[in-house]
Amino acid sequence: MMTSTVSETPQGAVAGGNATPSVAPSRSTQRDGTPNSSLGTFGVKSGLAQMLKVIPLCLVVHLILLFFRQLGGVIMDVVNSEQARIAEEAGACAVMALERVPADIRAEGGVARMSDPKMIKEIVDAVTVPVMAKCRIGHFVEAQILQAIGVDYIDESEVLTPADEEHHINKHNFKVPFVCGARNLGEALRRISEGAAFIRTKGEAGTGNVVEAVRHERAVNGEIRKASAMSEEELYAYAKEIQAPFHLLKETARLKRLPVVNFAAGGIATPADAALMMQLGCDGGSCLVLATVDTSYELFAVVFVGSGIFKSGNAAKRARAIVQAVTHYNNPKILAEISEDLGDAMVGLTIDDKLTGGRLASRGW
Amino acid sequence: MIDSIFIGVLALQGAFAEHSASLQRLELDRNIDVILVRTPGDLSECDALIIPGGESTTIALLARLAGLLDPLKEFVKSKPVWGTCAGAILLSESIVGAKKGGQELLGGTSVKIARNGWGSQVESFEVPLSLSDVGDTSRPFRGFFIRAPVVLDLSSPSQSGQYPPITIVARIPPSLLPPSLIESNNVVSEDDPRTIVALRQGRHLLTTFHPELTEDNRFHEYFMRNCVLAGGMGKDHKPSTATTATFG
Repeated sequence: MMTSTVSETPQGAVAGGNATPSVAPSRSTQRDGTPNSSLGTFGVKSGLAQMLKVIPLCLVVHLILLFFRQLGGVIMDVVNSEQARIAEEAGACAVMALERVPADIRAEGGVARMSDPKMIKEIVDAVTVPVMAKCRIGHFVEAQILQAIGVDYIDESEVLTPADEEHHINKHNFKVPFVCGARNLGEALRRISEGAAFIRTKGEAGTGNVVEAVRHERAVNGEIRKASAMSEEELYAYAKEIQAPFHLLKETARLKRLPVVNFAAGGIATPADAALMMQLGCDGGSCLVLATVDTSYELFAVVFVGSGIFKSGNAAKRARAIVQAVTHYNNPKILAEISEDLGDAMVGLTIDDKLTGGRLASRGW
Repeated sequence: MIDSIFIGVLALQGAFAEHSASLQRLELDRNIDVILVRTPGDLSECDALIIPGGESTTIALLARLAGLLDPLKEFVKSKPVWGTCAGAILLSESIVGAKKGGQELLGGTSVKIARNGWGSQVESFEVPLSLSDVGDTSRPFRGFFIRAPVVLDLSSPSQSGQYPPITIVARIPPSLLPPSLIESNNVVSEDDPRTIVALRQGRHLLTTFHPELTEDNRFHEYFMRNCVLAGGMGKDHKPSTATTATFG
């Protein structure tokens, strides 16, 4: 089940701090004259095995991204380099490049695809923070292209129109780390077994309504708590019930949290929403919650009002407030200060059967 | 009751939880209390500070919004601080590759550093590092370089005398340097500053990689012993000449 990138480096993922360095680590890409380093190895791509001191049931279990340990902040959707700059100025720790923001995809309909590589390159050049980009579910060629142009992370996203209604991308085949959405524990573990390096709640993107993200976070946390009290026999049955690989379920039950970093996304529109997701995540024992923000719909509007308005617009202020909320998520006094006077949030949509653009969260299998 | 020593970990953004866990694993004769620093009030309780990896632009912005920027600048002038990755960038005197419009630094060391020296995420790598000046140098240390910065210069001549001497703790082989940094046909020597990945200047420690992501506590112990508990600035060890560059 492992690809070359993975199987080359069992040591990288399990050795821990007291590595056995006498064996030079292997590398997935060999640069001339540098036999002594590992580039894009499993240890670099995943990590935390060192921190967890786990005896490996399977390497995939240790797919916890080192880099996401560093993020712990706010990722903002952007559709061009101007928006990316605004997001960076607002304190985003990464930007997500996509063709249209979810709210527009909803409103306009049609097939939503990977962004123009030129636009992504412009964004990469414009900002110093990491750049993520979305590809369609199952569209591994879009993923290959995104990896080739040097994005830092790929989101195999239900927000775009799926390219495959049965299969997700085999993410072990890539050097670049992937994030995938999940609504429940079974879905999260299926994505992890395919090589997803971290998991986000799906929420209902482009609605400005946090209810689905809360539902998914609660579902995952609740199922983990349930699994952690089960005997091994019960876990076998539960794995079948939720359609999750047994070894991943067992490891999750032991850790009492997902074996990868978890973050919140979909419909987060206010600082309070962001803090809510942070507190829910911590309550469930996840180490870290990131928030993607639906403010870019507003950012978009602001950008086109005219130059010079970026810094004064409410959207930039709101984005900045959300960044602060993720840091001070458990300090209601500071949350009150930063929530003041942000103007109107993006127009919220009620999530029901009449939702424009349909339920994106139901995509993914 | 034994006096506790209060070590702050700047918890605005980034890998602060891992630093906190590493500190709590240490076995020293002093009790360590870890404070997650998010406000000026938190900072005022700290005897020393660790600035974790993350995005230096985000950390600087959040520090300013939280009213922490000036207290932090004061803190680095008088107390021990360790910066990993983004933290090392913040502790530098000057940087290359700042975001458009520039970004704020805390200063504190004479080092000049380039942000994100290797390029995108797929260029991140791990390498065993041989250490010097650290307690146990017999085994290598697993260095994780994740969109890591590159030390460009240790100090400019005009600063001589302003800063304490620098002790180099770890280097990478010149062959690992990002090609974009190396001028064509130039052979980078073993003691080029760009190969430095860990250094101590007085009571400040800079690492461009992430010791907190391993279970190996040697850097945390080194910071505690040589920066925090060592007291004065002048108590440098006597490392071998091959690994030490002294300025001023």
